[in-house]
Amino acid sequence: MQYNVIVIGSGPGGYVAAIRCAQLGFKTAIIEKYSTLGGTCLNVGCIPSKALLDSSEHFHNAAHTFKEHGIDIPMPKVNLTQMIKRKSEVVKQTCDGIVFLMKKNKIDVHTGVGSFVDKNTINVKSADGKETTLTTEKVIIATGSKPTPLPFAPFDKKRIISSTEALELKEVPKHFIVVGGGVIGMELGSVFARIGSKVSVVEFLDSLIPTMDGTMGKELLKSAKKLGMDFYLGHKVTALENKGKEVLLKAEDKSGKVLELKGDYCLVSIGRKPYTDGLGLEKVGIELNRGQVPVDNHLKTKVDTIYAIGDVVRGAMLAHKAEEEGTLVAEQFAGQKPHINYLLIPGVVYTWPEVASVGYTEEQLKADGKSYKVGSFPYKALGRARASMDLDGLVKILADKNTDEILGIHIIGARAADMIASGVTAMEFRASAEDVSRMSHAHPTYMEAVKEACLAATANRPIHM
Amino acid sequence: MAQQIKVPVVGESITEVTIANWLKKDGDVVKMDEVIAELESDKATFELTAPQAGILKIKKQQGAVVPVGEVICELADGGQATPNSKPEVKSNSIVSTPTAQPMKSTDGIKEMKVPTVGESITEVTISTWLKKDGDFVKLDEVIAEVESDKATFELPAEANGILRIIATEKTTLPIGGLICKIEITEGAPASTAPVASAPTIAPVSSDKSYAAGHPSPTAAKILDEKGIPANQVQGSGVGGRITQADATNATPAKETKPAASTTPPAIASGGSRNKRNEKMTSLRKTIARRLVAVKNETAMLTTFNEVDMRPVMDLRSKYKDKFKEKYGVGLGFMSFFTKAVCAALNEFPAVNASINGDEIIYHDYCDISIAVSTPRGLVVPVIRNAEALTMNQIEAEIARLATRGRDGKLSIDEMSGGTFTITNGGVFGSMLSTPIINAPQSAILGMHNIVERPIALKGEVVIRPIMYLALSYDHRIVDGRESVSFLVKVKEMLEDPGRLILGV
Repeated sequence: MQYNVIVIGSGPGGYVAAIRCAQLGFKTAIIEKYSTLGGTCLNVGCIPSKALLDSSEHFHNAAHTFKEHGIDIPMPKVNLTQMIKRKSEVVKQTCDGIVFLMKKNKIDVHTGVGSFVDKNTINVKSADGKETTLTTEKVIIATGSKPTPLPFAPFDKKRIISSTEALELKEVPKHFIVVGGGVIGMELGSVFARIGSKVSVVEFLDSLIPTMDGTMGKELLKSAKKLGMDFYLGHKVTALENKGKEVLLKAEDKSGKVLELKGDYCLVSIGRKPYTDGLGLEKVGIELNRGQVPVDNHLKTKVDTIYAIGDVVRGAMLAHKAEEEGTLVAEQFAGQKPHINYLLIPGVVYTWPEVASVGYTEEQLKADGKSYKVGSFPYKALGRARASMDLDGLVKILADKNTDEILGIHIIGARAADMIASGVTAMEFRASAEDVSRMSHAHPTYMEAVKEACLAATANRPIHM
Repeated sequence: MAQQIKVPVVGESITEVTIANWLKKDGDVVKMDEVIAELESDKATFELTAPQAGILKIKKQQGAVVPVGEVICELADGGQATPNSKPEVKSNSIVSTPTAQPMKSTDGIKEMKVPTVGESITEVTISTWLKKDGDFVKLDEVIAEVESDKATFELPAEANGILRIIATEKTTLPIGGLICKIEITEGAPASTAPVASAPTIAPVSSDKSYAAGHPSPTAAKILDEKGIPANQVQGSGVGGRITQADATNATPAKETKPAASTTPPAIASGGSRNKRNEKMTSLRKTIARRLVAVKNETAMLTTFNEVDMRPVMDLRSKYKDKFKEKYGVGLGFMSFFTKAVCAALNEFPAVNASINGDEIIYHDYCDISIAVSTPRGLVVPVIRNAEALTMNQIEAEIARLATRGRDGKLSIDEMSGGTFTITNGGVFGSMLSTPIINAPQSAILGMHNIVERPIALKGEVVIRPIMYLALSYDHRIVDGRESVSFLVKVKEMLEDPGRLILGV
């Protein structure tokens, strides 16, 4: 079969790229190794984790806040099997949605491992050994990433697990150990903490979610501690062993003091690495750089007709970053010249409260020697937050000291992930803090905290504080 | 229980100290051993630490000279704020560092109006605000630059206080018009006063913004596809931002595809058709008004002549190094022309006169206006009593005035009252022109470029460096005989510079 474009990988980067290519009139195919489309995001990432996060949050509310709301129920019990089943249904529906979108856009789906024969020829080997050869003018590599194991303790997928297995557990762990206090560790750790597990987080650095603004990590730590999670920051894991019915973790703090934790599961969430196994990059002369596929500003590899997007290239490993890149590459094929402002790709942590941010962190501004001002506003002072008992959190606005232009927006609190979009809008149009503070924000909403924080940044004049 | 803190004995011969700096405010809770103040003796500066924790009550203000052993503050027990300390703690928006005296509003408001800056000036334009609305300004501190049609001058604050701007930049105001108000205060806010003390009243002006020319995401894409740099597009969005529509309507500077057509294409089709509207400065408006007035109100005409510049050039090249060495200024042509003009004016006083109603004013002195081109436009500073100045004095004065003109520092005095003007279009390459009189003067001499031309001299064609001269004059008071003779006189003196010395 001859195509204009072949996309390898059907995650959010790949399938969006395929759809956009098809919209632009290219004959497009997509190759997926697994039986379902959607990649990590839909199958074992964003969507299933959010499904469980919400289920666990409902349970937590039923167990702890219903009474205060005036809803008396007998003490609820967790039905993990049902939770996982519901999650799987959500995943199935979402994946089916992608199948529908492929059909609608007349994109051919080839299931199997795609690998280069040469730059215009791709071999697809399906699970049953059947091989198909496809030819194409252009290729988009969107093969994504895989969880990184600890070097001394590979995933056994039984007790030493990655996020993939954590989403399929059959029982509520008694003691759930998390190695790595980043986004994935905090999200899944909080899920199990809410449904009754004792959760211990061991993090090598001294703060949580270290790539985000320092205030966010501190606030998240506070709220996670309220949930009963234990934290061992500044600890280096030295050993991790599956003892059959439990795992044994050993770690050292900076002074060399040894920590021993025994738990029934250990989630290793220390990061993800680009995934290019079996892709046959050597056939087209592409060499990896620290595991990544090297690309230029147009996401083109060293081969003129081969592009790469998403987790497999440099930059944040985020579904929405991959989507933008997929769109960009497709439009470039059509001779268009789109842009991506990587500074304004928002980062989100789906704990509850959620964390979301866009732009520069205060640490970055300090390091760059920029003169900035800070305005922040706590959820506590928000009528909406009080009404729903979601009082944890704050909005922090960083603005240029001279021009008042917004340089960074950092939110921790209920609905932060949804709210950050308006922050991206403001920053794409280079709004000043005062600009935003002069725009009407509906009352009562969580977004009022953004307006108030902007007032605080503009001239330290929030109304409700 | 309050513990009194006295000036400690700091050295044998030291009897008194000055309180250089309170590092804590009155009412602050201080910790034991925390530095609360810096004291200064005639020998050294030292720090005063709190001997115990407590609430600070300041007894001697910053700057006070206190003898050794005297109480300078008290530390009250307990961490809870005393009623006494409350107001200070609350007013954190105003007093943020201890270096400042608390700023008090005295309810007075000083209205600053456009001062009378010169006889003929009726209006001024605010060119630049050096202080922002809400800034604290000190008495006599320069807060704005104001432009009249003659000069730019600085506007000093007429009181201490908070500036409230009434007339924004580029606003034109009549004399006596309200420029700004100053809310008079006593003392000054700390230099690091938080923004809160200066709330911005006016929203960011919409025609000038840090984001001007910033394209929206879609606009950026469209412009890139058209190959138009964002800085070539006028943004119509808020603060000059480039909207999607701006990008859609933007046209590239060069057409990439020539239109396929049987008729010959219009030659100018490739060029930009962009137009810009800019407000005229008051200087430009005044120039425009005056020049038209002179054309309408005088009987102006021009007479021409030519000068063989060889003698002046020879003299100049012979002595220019010595001249420079002795006087520190270069020997240019202007001093020759100025001297020649002064001598000729002396002979033909009508050319140096002006009309005032029914009277003619004759001047027994020659104040020569020199037209100078500056970045702001044409200015005409005056060389006073040029007839009495030596060549080097004239050169030095021209250099001084030209520099001040370029820097925009010429005062109105320096530009008014000339009796005759010399303008040199030759520096720009003009061969011949008819200058317009600088009213109320009655004549102007135009110099031009020096070009080697063939001329007939004693029956032979020779090549000589020639400059054409033009004298525009007001025929109402200058007759043809006088004007022509004046110009001939100037010519003769330049062609034989010895006459300048002899006065013949």
